[in-house]
Amino acid sequence: MARFLVIPGGRTEAVGPGPSTALPEGGLVEELYRRYAPAVYGRCRWLLRDEEAAKDATQEVFARALKSLPEFRGASSPTSWLMRIATHHCLNELRARRARWREEWARLAGERREEGVLPDRRELLRALLGEVGAEEQEVAVMYYADELTQVEIAEVTGRSLPTVRKRLRTFLRTARSALSAAFPDLTFPEEDLP
Amino acid sequence: MTPSLGGPGAGCSVTRVRRLLAGELRGTPRERALEHLAGCTRCQASERELHLEAEALARALPFDRFAAGVAEHLARIDGRSARPRRLPKFIPLALAAAMFLGVGIPLVAHISERPGEGGLRVKGAPSLALYAEGQGGARLLDPGEKVPDGAHLRIALGPASFTEAVVVLLDRDGATLLYAGKARAGPLPGAFEWTGARRGLVVAVFSNAPIEPSDLVARLSREGVKGAAMPKAVVLTLDLERGSAQ
Repeated sequence: MARFLVIPGGRTEAVGPGPSTALPEGGLVEELYRRYAPAVYGRCRWLLRDEEAAKDATQEVFARALKSLPEFRGASSPTSWLMRIATHHCLNELRARRARWREEWARLAGERREEGVLPDRRELLRALLGEVGAEEQEVAVMYYADELTQVEIAEVTGRSLPTVRKRLRTFLRTARSALSAAFPDLTFPEEDLP
Repeated sequence: MTPSLGGPGAGCSVTRVRRLLAGELRGTPRERALEHLAGCTRCQASERELHLEAEALARALPFDRFAAGVAEHLARIDGRSARPRRLPKFIPLALAAAMFLGVGIPLVAHISERPGEGGLRVKGAPSLALYAEGQGGARLLDPGEKVPDGAHLRIALGPASFTEAVVVLLDRDGATLLYAGKARAGPLPGAFEWTGARRGLVVAVFSNAPIEPSDLVARLSREGVKGAAMPKAVVLTLDLERGSAQ
């Protein structure tokens, strides 16, 4: 039970409750930090490719979570809930700085200096995100980066399964075209989504 | 050549590993996830990666800095609101304070190396906030807003990188120690009601060296806010003015 102190008028000397103890270990924010912040920070670092921006974005995500605490606590998976907020936030940041997307392919080509070396899976995915719209971006991140099934994506996003499937197909179609333009020796497998 | 973008595998999902490590899975789903993890090199790689993420976070953004940053973002979110935000009535002050653990509010806090000289609040600097509990629940007081009569007040700190803090309420009737101890982000334990003079000041001193609270209170009683000055300490003040409406 927290102390309650009345500080009256007319007192003639310093009075007070004496030194207080600090908040106990294991407070809410500390728990959120320990359990969820590593994954959120990892997501922000991957998408933003900027350490300072990633730190800032991570803090923003948790500030939003604290502002929506009942919603956060009511989520069937707080992890998925937070990762979705983080992904949204970072993709919005990137959309606001369109030039960053355009730099991706050049950077990827620079890293892949010789044929026969496949680009890093996640770096390739990140570059491809710049080629599609917001809905396809979100679904692609959930499918390829978070490894959620299409059914799980439908549950998390509240979209229908056919819509999720359609967004993924659009992403894949665009990805094939972008990949062949950037790296003619590379192509995605022709088989459709599972 | 055919690159792969990945995607969920048969029983493999990095999200499931994340949920497992976050303690979200219980009972059978947890047992299944553990069993799968024990025999799946792909998920074991995901687990290793998540541990690396945790190490990277601890290096780049230790908890204290994280909490202070979250506090700044919360303050910014509150600042974007056109009207004062009231928390729902059913959330008592203590819960509201817990919800906003780590919040630091610029309010009318002045940051100054030398007390009495106002300055700009800068990112990464410590912060000081005041909550009031009224009929509508607990809420942050807006800059310049009067402290409602009879309100139960609670202070929250955002200590940035400082380790020690002392908080004192100073008015014409004297100096009252509200808190002395480790400078941790979030609301201080204990609420208070201020029934003293019409105007007052909350003085928070942040330092990385221990602060003797009785000395500080004595100096503040004797010299006013100037008595808070000490080497390598940062002093924040929060102007208080009581009003009648709540």
